[in-house]
Amino acid sequence: MAALTIRRRAGASGAGPARRATAAGFRFGLPLRGAVLALSALYFLVPLLASGRFALEGARGTWTLSAVRALAHDGALWSSLLLSVEIALGAAAITLALLSPTSVWVNLRLPRLRRVLEGLTLVPLVVPVVVVVLGLYGAFPPAFVTSPALLALEYVVLAMPYSYRVIDGAVQSLDLHTLTDAGRTLGGGWVQTFFRVLLPQLRTSLMSAAFITIAYCLGEFAMASLLGFTTFPVQLFQIGTEQIDEATAVSVFALLLVFLLLATLSLLGGKRRVARGSIVAGGDGTAAEPPRPARAGRS
Amino acid sequence: MTGTIVEQATTLFDQDAAGARRGVRVELVDCVRYFGSVAALDHLSLAIEPGELVALLGPSGCGKTTALRALAGLEQLDGGMVRIRDVDVTRVPTHRRELGMVFQAYSLFPSMTAIDNVGFGLRLRKVRAAARRRRAGELLELVGLSAQAGRFPHELSGGQQQRVALARALAVEPRVLLLDEPLSALDAKVRAQLRDEIRRIQLEVGITTLFVTHDQEEALSIADRLGVMAHGRLEQIGTPDEVYARPGNAFVASFVGSVSSLPGTAVPGGMVEVLGRRIGLRPEQDVFLPGSAVHVLLRPESFAVRADPLGRGIVLRRSFLGPVMRLAVALPGEVEVEVSLEAARAGEIGAGSAVSVEPLGPPLFVTGRDDA
Ligand SMILES: Nc1ncnc2c1ncn2[C@@H]1O[C@H](COP(=O)(O)OP(=O)(O)O)[C@@H](O)[C@H]1O
Ligand SMILES: [Mg+2]
Repeated sequence: MAALTIRRRAGASGAGPARRATAAGFRFGLPLRGAVLALSALYFLVPLLASGRFALEGARGTWTLSAVRALAHDGALWSSLLLSVEIALGAAAITLALLSPTSVWVNLRLPRLRRVLEGLTLVPLVVPVVVVVLGLYGAFPPAFVTSPALLALEYVVLAMPYSYRVIDGAVQSLDLHTLTDAGRTLGGGWVQTFFRVLLPQLRTSLMSAAFITIAYCLGEFAMASLLGFTTFPVQLFQIGTEQIDEATAVSVFALLLVFLLLATLSLLGGKRRVARGSIVAGGDGTAAEPPRPARAGRS
Repeated sequence: MTGTIVEQATTLFDQDAAGARRGVRVELVDCVRYFGSVAALDHLSLAIEPGELVALLGPSGCGKTTALRALAGLEQLDGGMVRIRDVDVTRVPTHRRELGMVFQAYSLFPSMTAIDNVGFGLRLRKVRAAARRRRAGELLELVGLSAQAGRFPHELSGGQQQRVALARALAVEPRVLLLDEPLSALDAKVRAQLRDEIRRIQLEVGITTLFVTHDQEEALSIADRLGVMAHGRLEQIGTPDEVYARPGNAFVASFVGSVSSLPGTAVPGGMVEVLGRRIGLRPEQDVFLPGSAVHVLLRPESFAVRADPLGRGIVLRRSFLGPVMRLAVALPGEVEVEVSLEAARAGEIGAGSAVSVEPLGPPLFVTGRDDA
């Protein structure tokens, strides 16, 4: 944590030139950027506002919180949300535990398999969910197919095209060989080197991968519904068939939740980039020797 | 291990009662390592005496890094053995070999400050935080970076990063220090400075050290003994002056220091004729039948050069090297030689000047020549 604070401070001290450069860029492309931004905002906000209005509108132009109130007392909805959150957290944990060591190992030891693995992680995108479900029923006893653990595992696979890319990208950006060699010569076995040397470097990306997986799980409908789980989206659908205004209120609420999540994430990411930028700007200028060449330059 | 570090936290490095160096003997015995069909190590044997600094010198791709990594256990061997303090460690994993290593690429852990980097090995050994910080602080002082203890790697210059890497490697009191071209990413001035400092620290600590480099000047200036490698083999090992003055073969002769190769002929009486002059051979060089064609290798300082309007040499280039002037001289028969003379006497000699060039014996090395 202390590390993060210091980094930010360094960023603040060296942000001058970087900020000036950005300002120049803005002046140049401002009208275009503004237009694009406004259009995208409209594209997303208009349906959202319309939904919000629909949820809060009573009979003949009055406003009412009845839909929201109904929501708050809907036990089935809350238990479905709890189930979804449990499954999402489980899936995120499994994703990190499975994919980060895999990516490290493949990049270190089996670089030729990298492309193959990348291809494999894309498979869930092209196999229809129905096919997967049929396959599950064929492969496992029904008792296992109906356990939430299986759904979590399924989500790990379904979100893999996104989560693996994030993790693998971060792993590839590290000078893996040098870092692991350094860790091992200093007395760390593979496990210690992985946890103490590599994981701290991957923290931000692992967080992103976890968030992506969680967001995927909270929004997935088809698989859960076909397997007979009443997850949050499934429950939402059911409410929608009976009480459309309540369902709309819930979906607006869900959207806001996800939006907050993503905004937090990109803010965190943005701060890190600023901190990195300060290196280029020269930090506090006390380095006695000429600047080093590019990081991780193995010649 | 843990105990000693904690107890010794006040004295930098453990010394014998006699004050002798604490280094251990390290050996590579008949090591073989193939990458596909390339023999990166081809029956390489090398012994490093306790406290000694051996530099491994050789062209890029000759297997220096592989030798070092084999010693560290980062590379498996297809044959041969690694011994540390007379114990076979060939099957011992890297993290139990008690080594310190500094890499060519910057290897500090980016998310840790300098002092945390230095203390990392101690943390793995479960040394308590206070003792760890104290010792890491001492090591940073040893490399002259106490003031930068709280900096992150990206806030340090290249030279400073390598100093921290050295401190980090030494913090765990390793038995052997391994350096793989630690200076090659730095610019010339920092490189020379840090080179001398590495040597000072190595002598102070008394640790057995293997220093890999492709830079002959670096190797000559830092090493107790210098090993020259080519194609996965050790061509010669000896003190820098031995290797420089008495190369064991033509490769070593031409790789270490500058040499010019001149066609010559063996003549009776243990001499060769080169550039129309006869020069004496050392007894061990006198192995050619009179009349056989040879290549004669000569150092730049083994020529007498003077300005001479009737001389047959034409100066192509001159470069000023402080006390001496280095000249490239074209001679008849498409021969080009590198010669040096005292800068004070080089006065009017410049590019295009006519000079006379006379070889002075004995030659550095003589090989047979088939093409004549
Ligand atoms: N991991 C590897 N895979 C394949 N070939 C390698 C590998 N490491 C080294 N080599 C080969 O082994 C030879 C020696 O390499 P290296 O020890 O790195 O040389 P040096 O350090 O002297 O430049 C080279 O021909 C190199 O291409
Ligand atoms: Mg190398």
